[in-house]
Amino acid sequence: MKKSAMLLTAIMMVIVLALSACGGGGNSEGSKDQNKGNTNTQNEGKDGTGNATIRFATWDTGEALKIQQEIAKKFEAAHPGIKVQVEPYGDGFDQKLAAGFGASNPPDVMYMWDFPTYYKSLEPLDGFVEKDETLQIDDFYPGLFAYNKVEGNLYGLPAGFTTRVFYYNKKLFDDAGIPYPQDGWSWDDMKAIAQKLTDKSKKQYGIGVRADNDTYDLQGFVWSNGSSLISDDGKAIEGYMNSKETAEAIGVLGQAVKEGYGVLVGGKNQQSGDDIFKAGKIAMWESGIWPLEGFKEAGIDVGTVEPPVFPGKDVKGVLAQSAVSIAKDSKHKEAAWEFVKFYVSEEAIKMRTADLPIRISIVEEKGFKEDALYKPFYTMLERSSNAPAFLLHPNWSQINRNLSVAVEAIMLGNNPQEMLDQAVKESEKFLK
Amino acid sequence: MKKVIIYTLLAFLSALFLAPFFWLLTTSLKSPTELYLFPPKWLPSALHFDNFAKAWTSQPFNLFLKNSLIVTCLSLLGQLLSSALVAYGFARYKFKGRDALFILLLATMMIPWEVTMIPLYMEFNYLGWINTLKPLIVPSFFGAPFFIFLLRQFIMTLPVELEEAARIDGANPVQIFLRIITPLMTPALVLVGVFHMLNSWNDYLGPLIFLNDQSKYTLTLGLAQFRGMYGVDMEGIMAVTTLICIPPLAIFFMAQKHIVEGVAGTGIKG
Amino acid sequence: MSTHETAIIPPQAAKRRSKIKWGRATPYLFILPWIIGLFAFTLGPLLFSLVISFFDWPVVGQVEFIGFRNYSEMFTEDPMFWTSLGVTLKFAALFVPLNIIIALGLAMLLNQNVRGKSIFRTIFYLPSVISGVALAMIWAWVYSGEYGILNYFLSLLGITGPDWLNDTTWAPVAIVIASLWGQGTMMLIFLAGLKNIPKELYEASSIDGAGRGRQFFSITLPMLSPTVLFNLITTIIAAFQQLTLALVLTGGGPMRSTYFYAMYMYENAFKYSKMGYASANAWFMFLIVLALTMVVFKSSSMWVYYEGEMKQNGNKKKAK
Repeated sequence: MKKSAMLLTAIMMVIVLALSACGGGGNSEGSKDQNKGNTNTQNEGKDGTGNATIRFATWDTGEALKIQQEIAKKFEAAHPGIKVQVEPYGDGFDQKLAAGFGASNPPDVMYMWDFPTYYKSLEPLDGFVEKDETLQIDDFYPGLFAYNKVEGNLYGLPAGFTTRVFYYNKKLFDDAGIPYPQDGWSWDDMKAIAQKLTDKSKKQYGIGVRADNDTYDLQGFVWSNGSSLISDDGKAIEGYMNSKETAEAIGVLGQAVKEGYGVLVGGKNQQSGDDIFKAGKIAMWESGIWPLEGFKEAGIDVGTVEPPVFPGKDVKGVLAQSAVSIAKDSKHKEAAWEFVKFYVSEEAIKMRTADLPIRISIVEEKGFKEDALYKPFYTMLERSSNAPAFLLHPNWSQINRNLSVAVEAIMLGNNPQEMLDQAVKESEKFLK
Repeated sequence: MKKVIIYTLLAFLSALFLAPFFWLLTTSLKSPTELYLFPPKWLPSALHFDNFAKAWTSQPFNLFLKNSLIVTCLSLLGQLLSSALVAYGFARYKFKGRDALFILLLATMMIPWEVTMIPLYMEFNYLGWINTLKPLIVPSFFGAPFFIFLLRQFIMTLPVELEEAARIDGANPVQIFLRIITPLMTPALVLVGVFHMLNSWNDYLGPLIFLNDQSKYTLTLGLAQFRGMYGVDMEGIMAVTTLICIPPLAIFFMAQKHIVEGVAGTGIKG
Repeated sequence: MSTHETAIIPPQAAKRRSKIKWGRATPYLFILPWIIGLFAFTLGPLLFSLVISFFDWPVVGQVEFIGFRNYSEMFTEDPMFWTSLGVTLKFAALFVPLNIIIALGLAMLLNQNVRGKSIFRTIFYLPSVISGVALAMIWAWVYSGEYGILNYFLSLLGITGPDWLNDTTWAPVAIVIASLWGQGTMMLIFLAGLKNIPKELYEASSIDGAGRGRQFFSITLPMLSPTVLFNLITTIIAAFQQLTLALVLTGGGPMRSTYFYAMYMYENAFKYSKMGYASANAWFMFLIVLALTMVVFKSSSMWVYYEGEMKQNGNKKKAK
C-alpha cells in the first residue's frame, strides 16, 4: 500500500514540476540543486565507510546543547572522516521528526523517548550491542532499558535520565521553624507542613500544583498508592485508571488547591512553577532534575526529598529518559553506531550536566549517592520499576487525551472519582 | 474639549498597548534575582545591559541575523514584484475565469499549514532544497494570496481615468502598470512590504521545518532555542526578543508615514 | 481624488506602443506568477492532503486506504471534533466583530488631526512586531492567577481577578483579549483606506449639513467597504487558524475550553501522528471557511462599493 501511495505522490510531483517548468523555466536550476542536495544528504556515505556526515537531532537547548556540540567535536576528532551535524529542534522536535520521517529524510541519530510511536522507523540496536564489547553495557543502570524496548527489541540507548523528587525551599522552612522533610514522610505530613507554610497575605503557598499536569509524571503517585493507570497486560483501564487508589493519588493535589495550601501554577505553559519557586512563593515543588541549576542560580537554598508515601505503601517513581536511536533509513548506520556508542561512553556521559549520568561508574566517581541533593534522584531510580502506561497499549496517547482532561478538572476542584470514571467511559473504545 | 478627550483616549490606549512591551524591556534589564519578585518590580534597581550581550552571544546570533536578513530581503523583493503584478491583473481586467480564479486565490489563503507541511517538505526534499534558505525565499516570487487580495482591493479604489487616458495615448499595459499604477500604489506597496517583512522576520514554522543545520538557522529559530522541552530561559527570550524587534520597529516607524500619508499625498499634491 | 495632471504619459512611452501585441493574453500574463506558484507550491500539496485524507497514514508505519472512514469517524465517533469546532466558532463569533470594530476605532482615532500621530501608530502596531512565542510568554505573566500583572492591577482597584488561564469561563476570553492586542495589521489597513477617502466628500456633506454620525454611515463606511471586506475575510480565516496563543498559553485547557480546531488538527497530526485523519480535519475546515468566505464575498456586491470598477464597467460598455 505504501508503495502505491508513494508512486501517486511521485506522479503528482512530476505533474506539478512539469507544469511549473512549462510556465517558468526555473526548472534547470531546480534540477541542478536536486543533484547537489542528493550528494549532500545521501551519497556521501557510499564513497566508502570514510566520509560521512551524521545528522544528530536533539531536543536539548542552552547549556545542554553546547555540551552536546562539544561531545560531537570530540567524536569528530577521534573519528576522522565522520562529521556530526548537530540539529537542535528544541520545542519543535515532534514536528521536525514527523516531517523528516514523513518525507523519508530523517536524521541519522536522534533523541528519542516515544518508542511505541516511532520504533517501526528505528534501527534495532541489539545486534550492535552484542558484538560491541567496548560499550560496557553492564555499567548502565539496568532499569533504564525497559523503556527502550518494543516487542523485545532494543531501539535506543539511554544517554541521560531523571527521576522526580520534591524540592523544598529551606529558607521558608527555617523562617517558620519547621524541620525539613525526610524520606519516608507521608502525604499527611506534607499537608500539615504545607498548611503551616501558607501565608496568603504574602501570596506564599505550601506547595505548587501544576494546572496542566503531564499524566506521565503523575504515575509515580498512582503507583505509590498501589494502583496504576492501566493493567499490566495493557488490556483494562476500568478498575485501574478509575480505581479508588488512583482517584486518591491524583486527588491529593486537587485537594491542596481546594483547601488553599496549594496554588495552581503553570507547568511548561503559563507562568511556570519553576519561576514561582525561584520567587520564593512556594515552599515545595515536585519536579525532575531540570530546574535544579536554575534554583541555585536564583540564589534559592534548596533541598530535595523523595515524594511522600501513602500510609503503609512503598513510594514508587517514574523516570524520564533521553535515549539515542538510529533511523532505519540512515544511509550510514555503522558511522551512526560509532557516534551513538561514543555518545553514551564514559567520556561523553561525564560531560553531561543537565540530567543524571546513566553509568554506575560515573555516579560513583561524582559521588552523587552521597550528595544530599542528588541522592533522592538515585534512590527514586531504584523505585522506578513499574512500566509506564504508554508502553502498555498502542492507543495510550488517545486514552491519555481523556485522562488529561479529567486530571485538569480534578486540579480545578472537581470530584476525582467522577472525573476518572468519565474518562474511563470515554476511553474504553480505544482499548479494542 | 474634543481634543482633550481624544488625547486622553490615546494616552490611555497607548498605556494599554505599551504596558506588556514595557514589561518585556524592563525584564530584559533585570538581574536574575529580581526577575521573579512579586509584587512585580516595574523598574530594575540597576540596568543590566550586559543581559543583552550575554543572551546574544549564548548562541551564534550574528549568523542567525545574517540568515534572517538574506531571507527577509530577497523574499521581500519577490513578494512586492509578483503580488503587485497579479493584483493588477485581477483588479483591472475582466477575463474568462477571473472570478473563479479569484475565489481559488482566496481559498488558498485558508489552507491550514498543518496538512500541506509534509507534502511541501517532500517536494522541497525532492528538489534538494531542504536545509537551504530557498524554501523560505523562492515561493515569495509567486505572490501571496493575502497581499494580492490586499493590493487588488487597493487598486480597485483607484479611479480608472488615468489609465484610460494613457491607453488612449498609446501606452501598453506594462507601461501603464509601471508608470501609472505603481506610483499610485506606493502606499499600499509599502504596507505590503512592512507586512511581508514582519511575516518573514518572525516566521517560525517555515524555518523550523525546512532548516536542519544550526548554521542555516534564522533569528526566530535561535529564539526558540531558549525554550526547551523541560524549561524556559526567560532572561534569554526576553533579551533577544527585545533586540530582534528593533529592526522591524525602526523600519515600521520610517515606513508608516508613506503608508498613511502617501495616499492622500498623491491625490492632493498633483 | 481631485486632480491628476502629474500622471500624463511621457511621449517616449507612447512611441514604443506598437512593438508588442497586447491581446486577450494580457490579464493572464499579469497573473502568471501566481498561477505558477499555485501549481508549484500549493495545488500539489493540497491535492496530496486530500488524497491522504482517505488513508490511515501514520507518520511511521503502514499506510492503508480506508475510504471515507476518516470522515465518518470525525462526524460520528469523535467528540473532540465537535468540542473543538464549538470552541472555534465561539471564538470567531467574539473575535471577528470585536477585532474589526477595535481596529476601525483605532484607525479613526488616528485619522484625527492630532500631534504625534506616528508615535501613536507605532505604539498601536507594536504588538504585531513581537514574534508569536515571546508574545504568548508575555501574556502568561500578565494572566497568571496569583502572580499575574493583570490581577495585581485589579487588586489595586479592589477587584479580585479570576485565575484567567485556569478557569473554563475566562480562559477563552483571555485568548480573545490577547488576540485583539495584535490588531495592528487590520488597523493599518483601515488607516490606509481612510486616508484614501477624498476629503471633498466630507466637505461637501458638511455644507449640506450632515452630522458626524451621518457622515460615518453615508461616506466613511461605503467608501471603506472594500477594506472592510478584506479585513472581514482575513479575520475570519485568522480566527479559524488560531493556534500559537492557545498552544503556548493554555495547551487547549482547562478542560478543553480553549481547545481550538486548529489545535485539534495539530495534535492529530503531530502528537498522535495521524496524518490522514488530520488531513480530513483540515479539509473539513477548509470547506467551512471557504463556504463562509463565499457567502461574504457573494454578498459583497450588495454592500461593497468599488469606485474603480463601477466606472470601468461603464467605460467598457462605451468602448464596445
